[in-house]
This record gives sequence, C-alpha cells and structure tokens, in this order.
Amino acid sequence: MNNSLTLLGLLSREPSYGYDLKHSYDRYFGAGKALAFGQVYSTLARMVRDELIRALGEETGGGPDRKKYEITVAGQNRVREWLFTPDVPSESLQSELFAKTVVALLLDDDADRLLDVQRGEHMARMRELTRLKKDADLLRVLMCDHGLFHIEADLRWIDLTSARLTQLKKELQSA
Amino acid sequence: MNANDTVAPILSARGLHHSFGQTEALRGIDLDVHAGEVLAVMGPSGSGKSTLLHCLAGVLVPDGGSVTYRPAGRAPVETSALKEPKRARLRLTDFGFVFQFGQLLPELTAADNVSIPLLLAGTRRPEALRRSRELLERLGLEGLGAKLPGELSGGQAQRVAVARALVTSPAVLFADEPTGSLDSLASENVLTLMLELVREAGTTVVIITHDARTAAYADREVIVRDGAVGASYRVSA
Amino acid sequence: MNPGLLKLAVVGSRSAYGRLAGIAGGVAAGVCLLLLLWGGANGLSARDDRGSWLRETGRPSVAASPTEDPTTSGPGTPVPLTTDTVLMEANPVEVFRDQLINRRDVAAFSTTTVKIPGIVTPPEPGRYYASPALQRLIASTPRDELGDRFGTFAGTIDDNALPGPDSLIVVTGATEAELRQNGRAVLVSDFTTNPYGGSTAAYNTVLSIGAIAVFFPVLLLISIVTGLGAAQRRERFATLRLIGASPQVVSRIAAVETAVPSLIGALLGVVLAIALRPAAAQIPVNDTRMFTADLVTGWAAAAAIVALVVSASALVAAHRTARAGIGPLGVTRAVHEKTPTKWRIVPLLAGLAAMTSAIAITCTPHLRSPWLEMPLLIGGFALILVGIVVVGPWLTRLVSGMGLRQARSAAGVIAASRIQRTPVATFRSVSGLVIAVFVVSVFAGASSIIESTEAPPARPGLLQPTSLHATVGAGHTPAQVSSAARQARGLPGIRSATIGYGPAALSTRDASPEIYLRAADAPALGFQDIPATEIVTVDTSFLYSWTTQPRALTPAPAANLDEMVPVVIVLGTDGTPEAIDRARTLLNSSGVTAHPAATSRDTGLQSSTRLIQGLAVLAYLGMFVAVAIAGLSLAVSTAAAILDRKRVLGLMRLMGMPVSVLRRIITLEAAVPLLSVLLLSVGLGFLVAWLMVTGINDSYRMTWPAPDYFTALGLSLLLAIGAVTATFSLIRGTTAMTTTRFE
Repeated sequence: MNNSLTLLGLLSREPSYGYDLKHSYDRYFGAGKALAFGQVYSTLARMVRDELIRALGEETGGGPDRKKYEITVAGQNRVREWLFTPDVPSESLQSELFAKTVVALLLDDDADRLLDVQRGEHMARMRELTRLKKDADLLRVLMCDHGLFHIEADLRWIDLTSARLTQLKKELQSA
Repeated sequence: MNANDTVAPILSARGLHHSFGQTEALRGIDLDVHAGEVLAVMGPSGSGKSTLLHCLAGVLVPDGGSVTYRPAGRAPVETSALKEPKRARLRLTDFGFVFQFGQLLPELTAADNVSIPLLLAGTRRPEALRRSRELLERLGLEGLGAKLPGELSGGQAQRVAVARALVTSPAVLFADEPTGSLDSLASENVLTLMLELVREAGTTVVIITHDARTAAYADREVIVRDGAVGASYRVSA
Repeated sequence: MNPGLLKLAVVGSRSAYGRLAGIAGGVAAGVCLLLLLWGGANGLSARDDRGSWLRETGRPSVAASPTEDPTTSGPGTPVPLTTDTVLMEANPVEVFRDQLINRRDVAAFSTTTVKIPGIVTPPEPGRYYASPALQRLIASTPRDELGDRFGTFAGTIDDNALPGPDSLIVVTGATEAELRQNGRAVLVSDFTTNPYGGSTAAYNTVLSIGAIAVFFPVLLLISIVTGLGAAQRRERFATLRLIGASPQVVSRIAAVETAVPSLIGALLGVVLAIALRPAAAQIPVNDTRMFTADLVTGWAAAAAIVALVVSASALVAAHRTARAGIGPLGVTRAVHEKTPTKWRIVPLLAGLAAMTSAIAITCTPHLRSPWLEMPLLIGGFALILVGIVVVGPWLTRLVSGMGLRQARSAAGVIAASRIQRTPVATFRSVSGLVIAVFVVSVFAGASSIIESTEAPPARPGLLQPTSLHATVGAGHTPAQVSSAARQARGLPGIRSATIGYGPAALSTRDASPEIYLRAADAPALGFQDIPATEIVTVDTSFLYSWTTQPRALTPAPAANLDEMVPVVIVLGTDGTPEAIDRARTLLNSSGVTAHPAATSRDTGLQSSTRLIQGLAVLAYLGMFVAVAIAGLSLAVSTAAAILDRKRVLGLMRLMGMPVSVLRRIITLEAAVPLLSVLLLSVGLGFLVAWLMVTGINDSYRMTWPAPDYFTALGLSLLLAIGAVTATFSLIRGTTAMTTTRFE
C-alpha cells in the first residue's frame, strides 16, 4: 500500500494539519498499525519538495505539527492518476485497492469506475492465464490455476464491494 | 484494434427495453456481437442478462428497441420484428442453445437427444444419428451415444447438450450459465471442448455467466447491471 | 392427530378448495351412477319376479292312456277340471304390430279357489282382463285389428303382476270346451314364483358379469378424482414432513383429507340418485320402462355403498401417499419405472382360461354344475378386465419399441422414446378408454344375438313374410274353412286367402308330409315355378319359420282335393301392420284354427334373450359413462404428462421446436398406447361375449353388432381426440418460454 499517495489523497479533500492527517489515516487504514508522526512529516516534506502539496500561511513559531497543508493541482492530478491506474493483480494488491476505494469515496470520486477498471485488469490477466493453460503441461496448468483462483478471489471482492458502494459511501461520509 | 470493428456486427441490439410486469429487466441496452467472437455477459443475479440473451436470440421480443441479425451471405433480419414461427425457425437453423441443466429429454438416448434439432430441420434419421455420434465422439463421449441422460455424469450430460447445440452448425451459440451446475474440472472440460469446436468453426458465442473463470475463456466481456450495460473490455491484443 | 394440522392439510390454500370440489363432484357422480345401476339391476330382477307367473307351465290336461306300443300314444283321457285348478292355454304368438302380447286363455269354475295374479276372479268366457298399457292400446286401435281377439273388457291387471308399466298382458276367459279342443291347455293349481325356471344360475352369472363390467369404469372415475392435484399435494406434505410430521401422520392426513370430500360427495350422490330415479325409470329396458319403485335400493344398500366408497378412497389415498415416499425435501426420488415383462400377460390368459374351462364344463353334461361354472365365468371376466390393464403397458412398450426403430420425425422419436421408458404411466392415461371399449364390445357382442333374428327376405319357395298362416284343427268342415277364407278376402289389405289340403289335419297321426294346393293359388304363396297340373304339393316344412332353403312344388296330377280336408289356411296381405293385425284377429277368432295364426317374423319376438337385452341397455348406459370418464381421465393424464415435462419442453421450444411438433408428440403419446391395445380390446370383448353367450345357452348365435356399437366406438375415438386437443392450449401456455427462466 502506498502511504504517501494515500496521505496525498486524504489531503486532497481539504487543507489540513499533519496531526489531523495522521488521525484520519489511522481511522481508515491504521487498524493494528498506526502511522508514526515522523513518517507523516517526512512524507509531507517529500511531497512539498515534489510540489504535490504546499504549506499554508507560514504561521510563526509553528513546528511541523502547526503547519496546515494544501494540495496543489499537480498533486490532484497525481491522486487521480493513482486512483484510476489499475494495479497488476498480486497478493499485496488488496490493501492498495482497498485504500484507493476508500479514498475515492472520501473524495466523492467515481469509485465504481475505479473498481471496473481494476476488474478489467483482473479479467485481462485471467484471460491471459486461461490462454496460457491451453496446450500447456500439467504443472504449468496448475500454476495458472493458482493464479486464476487468487485473482478470482479479488474479483469477487470487487464485485461485492461494487454492490456495496452506496452503503459504504454513506458510512464513510457520516463518520 | 480488432479487425471485427470494421465489419458490421453479426448481432446488434439497440435501445433494448423489456419489463416483466412492474419489473424493468432491460433499460436501454445497446450491444454489438461481432462475428466469430466469444462474448461473455456478466452481471449479478437479476441484472437482466438472461433477458438480454433471450432478446438477442429471438426468444423474446423486447418491449422497445430492436435486434438485428446479420447472417453471412444473407440479408440482415430484424429479429425483433419477426413473428414467432419465423423466429423459431431462425433459432432452429442459425442459433444453438446450451443451458445450465435439465435441457435433455430424459427418455431419449444421448444420440437421439443430439439428433432432434437435425430431425426438426428435416434431416433423415440415419444421417442425423451419424452426425450426432460423430459430434459426440469429438466431445469425448465415444460409446456413450446409447446412454440415457440419467446415466451420464453432469459434465457428460452438459457435453451432450453442447453437441445438440452445435449439431446444426449454428452461426451463433447462446450459452446460459453452461457450467453453472458443474465443478471446476468438469466445467473446464466442457468449456475447453466447446470452445475448441466453436473456434474451429468460426461460430459466434454469447456466454452468460457470473463466473469469472468461465468468462476468462471469452474474448470480451460486458457487464450488465440493473438492465444496462456497465462496461465492456477487450483483450489487449 | 392435531386438528390444527389437519385443517392446514385439508384447506391449505384456495386451490385446495377446487381439488376438494373435484373429488366431491366426481364421487357424487360415481355414487349416483352406482346406486341407479344397482337399482336398475334390482329392478330387472324385481320385474322378472313379478312376471314369473307368466312362466307357469301347469300340468297336462290330458292323461295318456296306456297302450301296448310305447311309440304311439292313444287319444288320451281328459283330466277333469276341479275347483282348485284352472284350465289355461298360452298363445305364444299373440302379436300386435311388432309387439308380443302375453295372452293367457283361462277357463275356471266360478267357485274356483285358484288366484290368478293381478286379477280378482278369473274372467268369464268372452271377457278379458288387460294390463293398463294393453288396454290403452286396445282402446286406441280399430277393434278388427286387436280388440276382437279378446272380447269384452272386464278390468285391468294389477301392477303387482306386471313386469313394468309398459307390459302387454291379457287374461281372457274361455269355455272349458274351447280350451280342450286342441289338447294344448294345461291345468294350473298354483302359479310359479321362480322367474328363470332352471336357469337361475346362468342369469345370475350374466347379472354379476354385467355388474362388474358397469361398475369397473365407475370405480375408475372415483379412483381418478381422488388422485386429483397429487403433485401440489406432495409439495404440501413435504412441508409437513419438514416441520416434523412423521410419514404415518402424513398418510393419515392424506386419508382424512380424501375421506372428507368423498363422504360429502357420496352423500350428495345418494340424494342425486333419489332425485334422478323418476327420470331413470323412463329409460325403456326390454321395451318397457321401470316402475320408479323398482329402482329403490333401500337405505342399507345406500349406506353400504357410501361406506365402501369413502373407506376405499381413504385407503387408496393413504397407500398412495405412503408409497410416494415423501421426505422432508419432497418426493425422495422419481419412482423409476420397472420395465414391464411378458409375465404381464398371465392374468389375461388366466381369465381367458377360466372362461373357456367354464364353457368346456357346460358342454360336458356330467360335469355341469352352476357352482363350478358361475365362479369360473365371473372370476374369469374380472381377471380379463384386470388382465387388459396389466398387459397394456407391455404391449405399449412392444409397439413403441418397433415405432422407435422406424421413427423418422422428431415428434416420433420423442414420443416413442417416452413411451418406451414409461409405458406404465403412458398406458395409464388410456386405460380407461381401453376398458370402456372392452366392456362395450362385450355387450355389443352379447346383444348381437338379438340382432341375429332378422326378418327373412321374401323369396319364392319360402313363406312370404307378409303372409299369415294357421293350421286348421281336426273336425272342421271345408265349408267352415272356406267361409273364414271368404270373410278374410273381404277385409281391406288382405290380398289372398289360400287353403291347403291333406288327407288329415296336421296334428293327427294320419297327416301327410305334404300339403296339397290348387296350382292357381300357388302364385299367391309366392311360388314362381309352377308345374302345369291342376293340383300341386309342397313339403310341410314350407310352413316352418326356420326353413331357409326354398321348397319346390311337385305336380300331383292324381290328387283330388274333394277327398281331402283343409289343413292350413294362408292369408296374403299387403304387408301393412294394420292388414296383418286384421288378418290375425280374424283367423284367431274364426274358431277353425288349431294353432294361433303366425307370420314368419313372429319367432323373432319370442326370443328368450330378455335378460341380456336388458343388461345391454344398462351396458350402453354404463358404456356412455365409462367412455365419458375415460375421456376425462385421458385429458387429465395428458395434461399431467405435459406439466411433468414443462421445463424441458419449454427449453425445446426455446431452441426453435415449433408448437406443432409438441402437439404431435402429445397426440402420438396418446394414440400409440390407445391403438395398440384397442384392437386387442375389441377382439377380446367379442371373444368374451361369445364365451358368455355360449356358456349360458349354446343355442344362441352371434352376428355383427348393432350400429350402436360402431357409434359408441366412434364416440370413444372422438372423445379421445377431443381430450387430447383440449390439452393443446395447455401446451402453449405452460411451455411458454418465460417459464424456463432460472431466476
């Protein structure tokens, strides 16, 4: 899961302080492993450097925790690019896709499309594996099947999530 | 880009609407099926995918919209404007059907079951039986022609159904959850054999399924949600 | 059993009411028919009981005087008439139009103690008592055609001595001298009460077989209606099993829920039977209607039928439910049909063997015993009925097997395969019709013996059917006979009056085997080839009604009629019934005849096949019911056959099979079993009829059945076609493609 892009996504809702950002993150994604403050600030600094965000109103005497950050246009584009670029189906994908969906919902962006795009990527990979199975030896077939079943599990999660999007959105926004 | 895009699609649906009483099953579906492609229609239960298949195959006449079938070497027909006897004839000669289960006449032997569409089309019985046995053999059912459906396994029965659907060499094969009642291995078996025959003959296939592994055998998939086509993806060539 | 549960089972849904109404209605119709038929059978026997006195044959009025030579008999001495006897003579051919009148001439002392049934005192000479129906006939007919035969009306015969309201019976008074004239009168001291004489057992056999044949279809009806809606019921029972009812409880529920509407229906049937009795009595059986009272079966019989029907239907329902093996998840397994084997022919063969051996026993005099023949005949008949139902599936399978190999069309292959795999179920749909046809054939065959006595054709050399003849008694002068002949010639419609001569009256020992005629009279008797002599002769057998070979005239140049006596008088008429009746009235009241005048047609009316004829009427009624029921059962079963395969047939239509092919399939599935067993049914029916008829009386002959039979057969086939086409609309509806949706 890409922490910096997730933070960037959270920031793109509204300008906020690093402290608030960490707590938002922890609330949605930090179950079991909260983000360290240091990690948040170093990430923010890196993103300022990359001009994805900028600090608002240089308040005097303010440490990093007293700074309010705002996303730039470049930052916004980066978030959208991230959201709608499907990932290669892999075992570590789920948490990333999960983060993307939540962020998209929080941003009131098209989570449906995000899931569909990912779905298409999954299906493409499944077709590829299915094609590979043809005329392959049994060992290779088993390997392809292993991949197919895992991707299928993701797909089922995608289907279920897309069926639950409306409800999920309501819950996230009221939280 | 696929070469099919330049040729007129073999089946095209425009603005399909259909309701069952108060329930709107289809709300304005546009869909093209290209000759020779294997198209998977996916979607959750109750999304209207079976109704879509029935409209495409000329089983149902949609309340609104039109379906056009463009057979090779013949003039296009607007199937949604034909009367039932003509549509029945078209289904018999140009289309094949495979369903989830219970489509074989339980009292007929496998070979007789397969020969029925040929007999209906006017083929003489010895010839029909010969072609049936041949096809059964190609589907790995040699020697099972004299068995009754009740004596076959689920996968074997489904392959008999595939043979029956393909025995008339249809232009389009409609399969509605063809592997819905089978385990993974049996469904793989059925699908592989079916698609092998289909690709060899250049038959167009429309498969309805909610199973991603089945859909993975297709060249393309469309998703139907709440009676509308949600997304369409194509294999990256 | 929990009453709440029972209520749920009996009136579970609105469609349940339809089923209950169907059962109640069917049972009501069945019970009503059973009671009416039972009443009809009782009525026939009550009627025969009342008419039994007409069978009294009395004792000879002449005692043979002992002679040395036993081969000849002397003139005999008259047995004197006493106060405890009456002298009676029956006229076997008292015919009016085409109806036989039962005539008894009696002579008695005014002080006689003998009671003639139905009348107070024996009529004085010249007076008569008549049944009301006959009296109406006499009053509405010119006297010279009928009334003159009897004399003056003295009163009517009471109903308790009449078989039915239409019976034609007359008791005329005569002097002792008149009756003693020809020696045929008998002395009667007591009238018999045994209606069948020595053949009671045979008649009871016919009655039993008739009862079985008529009741079988009615039982079939009750069995069909109690099975209505079995499929939906199974689902409901499965629900009950799921929530914890044991199989025994479910069986009991099935029994009760069938018993309740059956009871309602049965009681309704009793009421209906009572209401319909007067109407049923109007149906003529053997030319006479019934007295309404004859159809009364009594409360005991009604109660017995109600109890029997209700308990039988309850037991059948319980048994069927238990056998269906309904588990909590529905019927555990579609009952796999066992392939019928050739052993199924055994009951049929056994039945035929039983009936054949009964006949063999009849033909072997020293073995004859009604106690052996009766059970064999009745049991054999019942076995044949059951045997047809049992052998049907096997035959059906045999035929469909041949059909499957020959089949060319899709419909042929599908139908033949279906029959091949489920011959029992397929045959069940037509079993009712097949049984109906069998029963009809039996009765058509049995009653064809009535038809066999047709009027002989008018042929030269045979007595003309339009003529009437009477032999002349001994002691009458030629002048007396000539005067009668002259009188006859004067009557309208009578064309000729011919007198035949012989050396002595035909009833005496000196009678010649030939009758002498004037050649000039021969054309009036229908002869064409007349020898050129003045006098010709013809054999006496010329007069017999059973003579079928023409007799030729022989020249008798030496004969002299003046030396002979008149032996026979033949009146030629124009053939109208009025003329024949006029001639008959004249001859019979002329006093010169030895026997009552007769035409060659009369014998047909004397046929002793009364009971079979009566039963034939009941049988045609029963057959109508049977055929109607069979048609109903065929429609129900055909509909069930479609509903069973709703899904697969719907899918076949979806694949492009036209509705017309489905129709052909359904038609074939009904036609193949029907036709394959129908011929057998017809053949067996006539065979059984022949066995029955010969078993009862080997002098009976069978011929082609009446046109009614072919009408009935045609009706059955029409009904079958109707039943099958009625289900066609069901095909379109239930196999509509939307029913194949999986959602």
